[in-house]
Amino acid sequence: MFGNLAARPWVRWLTFAARQIIGFVLIVAGAIKLPWPEASVLAVRAYQLLPFDLTRPVGYALPVIEVVVGLLLVLGLFTRLAGWLGALTMVAFIIGISWVWAHGISIDCGCFGGGGETENGIAQYPWEIARDVGLLACGVWAGLFPRSPLALDNWLFASGQPPEPADDDELEESRA
Amino acid sequence: MTQSRREALRRQQESQQRAKRLQRVIIVGAIVLAVVVAGVFATIFISQLNKPSAVPGASAGVPVNATADQSGIIVNPGKFADGVPKAEIFLDYQCPVCKQFETTFGPTLDDLASKGEIQLIYRTMTFLDSNLRNDSSSRAGIAAACADNAGAFAAYHGAIFAGQPETEGTGYTTQQLRVDFAATAGITGDKLTPFQQCYDNRATADFVQGTNEAASKGGVNSTPTIMVNGTKLDNNTVFQQSAEAFRQTILTTKGNG
Repeated sequence: MFGNLAARPWVRWLTFAARQIIGFVLIVAGAIKLPWPEASVLAVRAYQLLPFDLTRPVGYALPVIEVVVGLLLVLGLFTRLAGWLGALTMVAFIIGISWVWAHGISIDCGCFGGGGETENGIAQYPWEIARDVGLLACGVWAGLFPRSPLALDNWLFASGQPPEPADDDELEESRA
Repeated sequence: MTQSRREALRRQQESQQRAKRLQRVIIVGAIVLAVVVAGVFATIFISQLNKPSAVPGASAGVPVNATADQSGIIVNPGKFADGVPKAEIFLDYQCPVCKQFETTFGPTLDDLASKGEIQLIYRTMTFLDSNLRNDSSSRAGIAAACADNAGAFAAYHGAIFAGQPETEGTGYTTQQLRVDFAATAGITGDKLTPFQQCYDNRATADFVQGTNEAASKGGVNSTPTIMVNGTKLDNNTVFQQSAEAFRQTILTTKGNG
């Protein structure tokens, strides 16, 4: 669909930048929470969004998912899939923050550790959502235009020939 | 002829390359998945290590005055009549506002409880352990539950808050929980050894974890939370009340059921 666009150098470099940004943020956010899964469970519970029994699996899995997806993006491995997964987590966070905002629940989003109820959490929501929308855009961009320089994908999906513009379609097929 | 043979050769090469690539993708994909699974299990394992749990074989897990559903401890068992308001206080022993609440309204609650005008239940939570990255809330909860078996729950509860460190996160020392608070609460003589054994074996650890879970499950995410007949009181209102107004609130709040 975007075959012509994807071949442009600036698009590829933009993908490179996008995956570094969202990837780095995901790694940091996940790594902070990783050693303290119970705190992560509490942060999830504070949203009062998920059914109680789901909060523990989500609280445990989320930091791991963040770190893994972040690493994939920074390394440029399975960029298309990782880009969409990163975008998906951002959508989930945006929904979560919108939910607590709409319900007037004042919490620390727990985005980078912490979490739970706080005094003036609501004031932070617009900025948090703006940040997540920006990261969402990075993820979507990487999902749409997964080819980029300095990516392990270039080795993984190498066809054994010097890359040509026509490669893009083949590349997309192989990952579909 | 030559043309088509070259074409065939090229196709063969291409399909070989494609197979190789597919293999590579599958291997790398499998490695990534393995890392994810290992990561999840490592996280679960580490969190289990951080959690205080009962020493295997320890007995006397549930304090004598626990509520029937083991979600808390009744402060004034046998002193209240049927139909009096049920006041439930959700607290974490490391929470400074809980100490403030205890200091301000504890005497009122104790008075109401000892006169049998209310049923008073303390529901211990331990989530600050996760936030503060220590295990003092759990250990204090375990000790308080042990104190109930020594017949000194309310006194020990008061002693913990009286000895709460100035800085949130400092936590409680073993000396404080085993010896100092016990002395303050009047756990002495024959009662001291069983109390300390109970604490050393973390005998009530599962009970305390259960009270925390039950509170979270009931939608309580912060402490102190005061519930009367199942209705949550608004903390902003409560903390501006005089002791007398608070007493009236407790006595007159209708249930939600």
